[in-house]
Amino acid sequence: MNELLNEFLVESYENMDQYEGSLIELEKDPTSKKLVSAIFRTLHTVKGTCGFLGLSRLEAIAHAGENLLSLVRDGVVSFNQAIASALLATGDAVRAILAQLEKTETEGDLDYSELVALLVSLQKPAAEGAASVAESAHPTKAAPTEARAVPVEAEAVPVKAPVKAAPATKAPAADPKPESKAVKAPVEVPVEASAAKAQPTAKAPEGDSPSGSKASDSTVRVNVELLDRLMNLVGELVLTRNQIVQLTGSLESVPMQAACHRLNHITTELQDRMMKTRVQPIDALWSKLPRTVRDLAQLCGKQIRLETEGAETELDRTVIEAIKDPMTHLLRNSVDHGVESPEERRAAGKNPEGRILLRAFHAAGLVTIEIIDDGGGIKVERVKARALERNLITPEKAATMSQQEVVNLIFQAGFSTAEKVSNISGRGVGMDVVKTQIEKIGGMVDMSTEVGKSTTCRIKIPLTLAIIPVVIVGCRGDRFAIPQTNLLEVIRLDKNLMVETVHETPVVRLRGNLLPIVFLDSVLAIKTGEREETQHLVVLQAGDRHFGLVVDTIHEAEEIVVKPLGRALTAVSCFAGATILGDGHVALILDIFGLGSRAAMFQSTRAANAFEEEAKAQGVGTGALLNELLVFHVGGIRAAMPLDMVSRLEEFSREQIEEAAGRQVIQYGGSIMPLISLSRALGFDETKSSDGRVQTIVYARNGRAVGLVIDGVEEIVRGNIEVQPAGRRSGVLGSAVIGKQITELIDAQDLVRTHASDLFE
Amino acid sequence: MRALIIDDSRTMRIIISKIVREIGFETGDAGDGQEGLNWIAENGFPELVCCDWNMPEMNGLEFVQHARAMPGNEAMHIMMITTESEADNVMAALEAGANEYLMKPFTKESIQDKLSILGLVP
Amino acid sequence: MNKTRQLCTFVLEGQTFGIPVDCVLEVIRSLPLTHVPLAPEAVCGLINLRGQIVTAIDLRRRLELGPLKEGKTARMNIIIRTSEGPLCFPIDEVGDVVDVEERLFEPVPETMTGTARKLIDSVCKLPGTLLLVLKGDYAELAGI
Repeated sequence: MNELLNEFLVESYENMDQYEGSLIELEKDPTSKKLVSAIFRTLHTVKGTCGFLGLSRLEAIAHAGENLLSLVRDGVVSFNQAIASALLATGDAVRAILAQLEKTETEGDLDYSELVALLVSLQKPAAEGAASVAESAHPTKAAPTEARAVPVEAEAVPVKAPVKAAPATKAPAADPKPESKAVKAPVEVPVEASAAKAQPTAKAPEGDSPSGSKASDSTVRVNVELLDRLMNLVGELVLTRNQIVQLTGSLESVPMQAACHRLNHITTELQDRMMKTRVQPIDALWSKLPRTVRDLAQLCGKQIRLETEGAETELDRTVIEAIKDPMTHLLRNSVDHGVESPEERRAAGKNPEGRILLRAFHAAGLVTIEIIDDGGGIKVERVKARALERNLITPEKAATMSQQEVVNLIFQAGFSTAEKVSNISGRGVGMDVVKTQIEKIGGMVDMSTEVGKSTTCRIKIPLTLAIIPVVIVGCRGDRFAIPQTNLLEVIRLDKNLMVETVHETPVVRLRGNLLPIVFLDSVLAIKTGEREETQHLVVLQAGDRHFGLVVDTIHEAEEIVVKPLGRALTAVSCFAGATILGDGHVALILDIFGLGSRAAMFQSTRAANAFEEEAKAQGVGTGALLNELLVFHVGGIRAAMPLDMVSRLEEFSREQIEEAAGRQVIQYGGSIMPLISLSRALGFDETKSSDGRVQTIVYARNGRAVGLVIDGVEEIVRGNIEVQPAGRRSGVLGSAVIGKQITELIDAQDLVRTHASDLFE
Repeated sequence: MRALIIDDSRTMRIIISKIVREIGFETGDAGDGQEGLNWIAENGFPELVCCDWNMPEMNGLEFVQHARAMPGNEAMHIMMITTESEADNVMAALEAGANEYLMKPFTKESIQDKLSILGLVP
Repeated sequence: MNKTRQLCTFVLEGQTFGIPVDCVLEVIRSLPLTHVPLAPEAVCGLINLRGQIVTAIDLRRRLELGPLKEGKTARMNIIIRTSEGPLCFPIDEVGDVVDVEERLFEPVPETMTGTARKLIDSVCKLPGTLLLVLKGDYAELAGI
């Protein structure tokens, strides 16, 4: 991309963050001249550059917003809700165009004339009303209280307007990540203040900036890509250091030992410092949240003040990226379910304006983030009843559970707290997904509540994700890294601990409990190399699920540098990345969650193994090789799809389905996932399950997911299957005999291309 | 000859610097008026200052006032970079000691014209 | 003077291929490959390129040239740059860098079928040999 355009995008995204943040502050403090000037300036800067880059569409929007703002700044128009909403919509539109520019280097052809018209209309009627009343009431134009005392006319005008403008501005937001990675935003890195500070200050006028030196005096901008590269090099250095330390251990040379000791020391220090350069204050994430809270609160008719504490707390930027979705979801949850309506609050003798506090601090190598609301708290008895109703706990267990334990049941899969269906938050994504997301990065989450007073959600996460402790294991000659956070224990399999089967599911008896186990070579379909004679069992934890993984050998525990896998491999859910071992070989890092869900799918089908044996015995299969298939029924037929195409199986409740842009969608994992009815796509009548549940196959490509709605899963089969071509039928590859029944093979790629092509371009 | 570009937008600084360099200036830059004054304190007066109007910390007008109050500034030419919405302010800036103004968006040619009025290019 | 394009050439199964020189990051001796279970079939493994992990693509498979003969291994790796990161191709042997006149390039013949068609950008008629020019498209090369 053109360097200038890139610079413009980085700068403008920064400007829009600031724009939005200041606007929301201005809503609280509508008379602040300083804020209005700051808001005006950000938009002005964006506009000013547009002319040079030939961005006329963007310029027109920024111009209209700027004009309105200049009237607000000069006190001609008084700031009100309608203006705030229109200006926020302006921000959205600017962002949408920026995102479009980033993707296509053009402004796109969305029509923003309605928004521009709205911005223009807000300049006039309100202006006349406000100006005249304000002036007659008070000779000083800027008088804040007076300006606010005339909202009758000002607010009456555009109540509907922002809503009308919404479709035009929302449309481009279909891209869920406007700030995608193509534009690498530089981060500010503090450096030792040097010559910059030493310059004579005598001539600097007094009283201009009481805070003295600005941040820019002692910081330089460094591209994130460069930092990542440096971080990688430090990682390499750590590995080399490990090698050298190992080699010199056997040497007698004292000076060599001493030099090695120093190398060790310096490397550790360097690694430590390097980590620090990649941190960002959590405010980088938080500064985007007031907008979310504001919009939601308005929608649910609540008054909420968002406060932050410890916004300067620093976290590795990869961690910030990873907690963005769960954090936003928890906050939405607090707004929707935590804080009560103003009436309820008044009735309870509380301030009608609720408060949500975000708090972050460091403790014991972890960062703690708390979301505290002063709402009605979680009703423990109701949670318990719901958990019983859904069979999440037994009545005996319920009787002995502490309040804390009960409250945390809401993180269990299959639990949903929404008493009445709410349109705003919580729908679709259960709290279990939030928990999974946080645990995936080695974090923890828990909830505590004080009835009638407050609810606190506490997240604890590691400082960095770049270097993690792992254990290296061997399996048929290959080596894999298992993150320590997922690892509970390692046991040698021998005659005291043997693999047994329960309904063809392999298990071991571990201290009186049955632990389901998975063979790493079979779950990863590794067929080369030989199993060792002695095998080991690694007991793993993925969320609430425990399982054992059988591997051949256990090598050493190490600290490794996590490296990303190329896009060609991101669809393989079993790996979290790769690393380079001491001997220079590449080892894959196991994603225990991915592995666990894959294994769970295996075990849900008792017939799978039996079928494989049968297939082998009969020597089935000369046609296409389709290793593993997920068999399901849809629209009255039996159908199958290759297992590698299946990212996950998910069940939703029918009420969770929403309608957006003429398509059924569902909130899933913090974003919106479109649904495709497989029955309809294949030309069958849609069948609705009687229990109100919807079964879906999540199909993900290029970071986008689609839910294929099916009637129900039957089994997973393995082996070679002979495919009979199907003639020309959209979405069907052909048919095959699987488990002695005719089964249609679904071509997911083709289906998605036909029914959701816009998402997978 | 040296030119100092003062603008709070990095993109604008890049754009203006590029054009001014093509005309034959060496350039320095600053993110607001105060940084501009600091630059001058460190590097001496440049032949040309291109100064944005609306900036945080110290705006363009304040910069002109401060810079013109510094002894020995006579050879320095100040050109205000403005937009049409700020046209009213141009007069104030000229009164305070700016030599010229330039409306956004501009081209290499329009800058050259202005500079030849100032006698900075042949 | 006629405009020319510079191509780096290599041989796979007796067929000569070319890739624009500015796409080629480097050509190196074969490095150990780490196999990736469950990967798309075009992916033959990962290599450690001085600390950077690069996905290796089996062009034979993508171009439907048939498997490597028993007991033979690829001797060289070409590392190319794509808009979505580097890729590595194990190949038999590296040819020269050739300057080819623009007029010698021709579109892919209509009759060419299979995945090869998606991967080949154009065909070059060189004296005595036909050179197939590869597209540097990550998704197509990786078959995803």
